[in-house]
Amino acid sequence: MKSRVLYVLFVLYVPLILVSNAQAAKIEQRFPPPDFGPDYVFPESQQLPARVGWMAWVDTGVLAAALSAAAWIALRRRSRREMFWLSLFSVLYFGFYRKGCVCPIGAIQNITLALFDPTYVVPLFVIAFFALPLAFAVAFGRVFCSGVCPLGAVQDLVMIRPLKVPRGLDEGLGILRYFYLGLAVLLAAMGTRFFICQYDPFVGFFRFNARFWIWVWSVALLLLSMVVGRPYCRYLCPYGALLGMLSRFSFRRVTITPDKCVLCGLCTDACAFGAIRESDQ
Amino acid sequence: MSKSPKLTREEFLKICGRTAGIVLLGGAAGALTTKTLARQARGGTVWQIDPTKCNQCGQCATHCVLDHSAVKCFHCFQMCGYCELCTGFFEPEPNALTEAAENQVCPVGALKRRFVEEPYFEYQINEARCTGCGRCVKGCTQFGNGSLYLQVRHDLCVNCNVCNIAAHCPAQAFVRVPASDPYIQRLGKNS
Repeated sequence: MKSRVLYVLFVLYVPLILVSNAQAAKIEQRFPPPDFGPDYVFPESQQLPARVGWMAWVDTGVLAAALSAAAWIALRRRSRREMFWLSLFSVLYFGFYRKGCVCPIGAIQNITLALFDPTYVVPLFVIAFFALPLAFAVAFGRVFCSGVCPLGAVQDLVMIRPLKVPRGLDEGLGILRYFYLGLAVLLAAMGTRFFICQYDPFVGFFRFNARFWIWVWSVALLLLSMVVGRPYCRYLCPYGALLGMLSRFSFRRVTITPDKCVLCGLCTDACAFGAIRESDQ
Repeated sequence: MSKSPKLTREEFLKICGRTAGIVLLGGAAGALTTKTLARQARGGTVWQIDPTKCNQCGQCATHCVLDHSAVKCFHCFQMCGYCELCTGFFEPEPNALTEAAENQVCPVGALKRRFVEEPYFEYQINEARCTGCGRCVKGCTQFGNGSLYLQVRHDLCVNCNVCNIAAHCPAQAFVRVPASDPYIQRLGKNS
């Protein structure tokens, strides 16, 4: 009985030997590996498994927390000073620490390509990064822009003396971002290039690795931000265009209570972004 | 119908717009989430270099989207001949068989050698230094046993859908392998 078991094992084992020999024969051993005896231990070569994905979920959590904080500061606290500190945190965390990636602005392209290209998938946290600010915009208005977006915050931080942009010019340039959005979506859908990321003006600061002409573009925009409030956000940001469309229908928003307003016009003068206009009535 | 007189045209349009926005956003997010989950359920794949196809062109060091390439040299010690004149370590016709920089192939000094016994030397890679340029791999593959070969390190790789190195690889050595078994072994596993 025992011999029969051994025989069966032997029969099963022979093809295994043949297969492994055939595999070994494929590798050319010009110099046969030496035999150092049992005392020698082969050093370990690192073959580390894929890195853990939980850091991405920490980022998503921070994004959700920052959005909630921005909504709270904008609608309840109504405090510019607190929003400034939140902006500073966003620049440091999403900008310099996370190197400006993943950002919802660039995620437009990943989402577009995933919708058009059947083989392309985006990680769940990228979907969250794209959708969370938009969901907050439906609920509370554009709180992402106010205190969470690192690109907006950079421009806010360097703003020294904002000039008033004439209303006609402001509105005319404001249309630009819809073209920018359209172009970015078109190029991403065709899989040509990720246009927004390629010409992102501030990611070069966060990573400190931009090419010369991108540096020129960055510095020019930063100099412009000193005298014009948030030029990138107002005239170019494609995600701002999306948020703007949704925030038009938002549940809550920052409002001026008509009964309390004495029409002094101070807020119109103070707003660096030309967002408050005197009523025609 | 008691509510309808209170609803102004502006409010009605606002509700319509809001609903459309929520439906579009939810629809897009839902569709993409399902797509991603379906891909994950099938078991993901990751990029890896097939060492039999790799021709050590050196673009792995320069074309990765990361600042420091996710490709690094891997040493399969079980295949290594422990040569004293290692063609992966020394320049062709070195001045002397010493560790002096001018004799070494590796531009960053990531390859270290240690004497084991006459005439054998052990070669180890300092992985923090390795840039994945593949010069040592070229030497080892052309004149040696091919125990040094490039591999995508998955603790570093961000697994781009469109790998920039793969797009430029002249030998088309980049292949997708199951994420559960992300490394290609030239010799059977740990044999």
